[in-house]
Amino acid sequence: MLLLCTDMRLLSTIGKYLVLMSTVFTKPVGSRIFFKRVFQEVEQIGMDSIWIVSIVSVFMGGVLTLQVAINFTAPYIPQYLIGLSARDTMILEFSSTIICLILAGKVGSNIASEIGTMRITEQIDALEIMGVNSANYLILPKIIAALISFPILSLLSTILGIAGGYVISAATGVVTIYDYVYGLNYMFVPFYVTYSLIKMCVFAVIITSVSSFHGFYTQGGALEVGKSSTKAVVYSIILILLFNLILTQLLLT
Amino acid sequence: MIEVRNVNKSFGDQQVLKNINATFEAGKVSMIIGRSGSGKTVLLKSIIGLHKPETGDIFFDDREFIRANIKFKREIRQEIGMVFQGGALFTSLTVEENIVFPLNLFTTMSKAEKLNRVNFCLERVNIQNANGMYPSEISGGMQKRVAIARAIALNPKYLFCDEPNSGLDPQTAILIDQLIGEITKEYNITTIVNTHDMNSVMEAGDSINFIHEGQNWWQGGREDIFNSDNKELNDFVFASELCKKIHKTTK
Repeated sequence: MLLLCTDMRLLSTIGKYLVLMSTVFTKPVGSRIFFKRVFQEVEQIGMDSIWIVSIVSVFMGGVLTLQVAINFTAPYIPQYLIGLSARDTMILEFSSTIICLILAGKVGSNIASEIGTMRITEQIDALEIMGVNSANYLILPKIIAALISFPILSLLSTILGIAGGYVISAATGVVTIYDYVYGLNYMFVPFYVTYSLIKMCVFAVIITSVSSFHGFYTQGGALEVGKSSTKAVVYSIILILLFNLILTQLLLT
Repeated sequence: MIEVRNVNKSFGDQQVLKNINATFEAGKVSMIIGRSGSGKTVLLKSIIGLHKPETGDIFFDDREFIRANIKFKREIRQEIGMVFQGGALFTSLTVEENIVFPLNLFTTMSKAEKLNRVNFCLERVNIQNANGMYPSEISGGMQKRVAIARAIALNPKYLFCDEPNSGLDPQTAILIDQLIGEITKEYNITTIVNTHDMNSVMEAGDSINFIHEGQNWWQGGREDIFNSDNKELNDFVFASELCKKIHKTTK
């Protein structure tokens, strides 16, 4: 019985999400205003995330290089594999999945609390009364902005992560610069970058739409805005992990 | 003119509106009064389409609203101005940007024309030199007046106010009431005000609908209140000792 209730609730939530998305993906009123909103969101979602993405990527790139180097103790393992593993780990998982998990926390909670606050202070009702499609006006620019910013953040993260590894190699001498750079160029598969960017686009839609959904249906007061924000982050993370698995199976095997 | 016919609305098992019938005329301020929880906010939100009644019809100048498609509803809503209880100003926008917002979306005015319109609306609600300020930087009374300015920016045919005086001092509340009354007559707007402030009713109410237990219990003009024998209305209107004394004197 409990299982049936949970199933029904899950189906109802998915249905509600799809209905909301069907109102989001419609033609926006006033293209100039729409593009202005997209640029504002690119600044809020993308530009404001550069700092955190950069810091995390540089340090993780460095740590990754160190850890691989420390564990590659066997003499028959070539040293250039340290550079190769740093490169592939950054491209395949870190710069897409892990960065998106971080962005789910930063961007997702921000979106859910912003829209949730607008809901409880009747600003969304005010938009509706003016004859504005509030879901389209508020959510679509965020999705488009994330689709523009997230792949760029992913590329930036990859570059900075590899650079972090380079700096650590040079500073500690765990691997020679020559081996590290040779490893970076060794057996490079360009499709991995495409795979990473595809994942980033899918995760961008997940984070912005799921967070907007939780914010949009907030009911109550400040406490509920906080709860919506938490739910947005939790569900975004779960969906990112699930879709990471699905996309890896579909694209790499 | 707005007509409400046989409107019923429930939330779960609880029926909040029971067969409501009412007519709100143009050029008049129609007040919906009643106790907290009587259903007046649900009625107001049902009229503007934020709640969907189970049965009944609502007509905006003979145009059916409840069963209209979303596109037509949005067209009608562009003729509606609404002042929310908390103002519902967009907190990330300045006073000027709040008022210019509907003009940007639904008019082809030039920048100068829009600015003129904004300044006209702000002047109309007696606000000066606040164009660049954010809602958080102005007082509650000013926020309400900016909300009225935003509501009239598109020259609405219908104006809805949900407890426009809540949280305001009596003098500012009277100013807001007078403003709503003046605007209604000046532009021949159909205005519906949801309130439980009897000062507002006496100040600006041309016609009054008393909602009690989800029903339109009593209708009449503001002078009729003093002569009514309706027990529930008298209990509500003359609840305070001061009002009871006034009531006795007038009787």
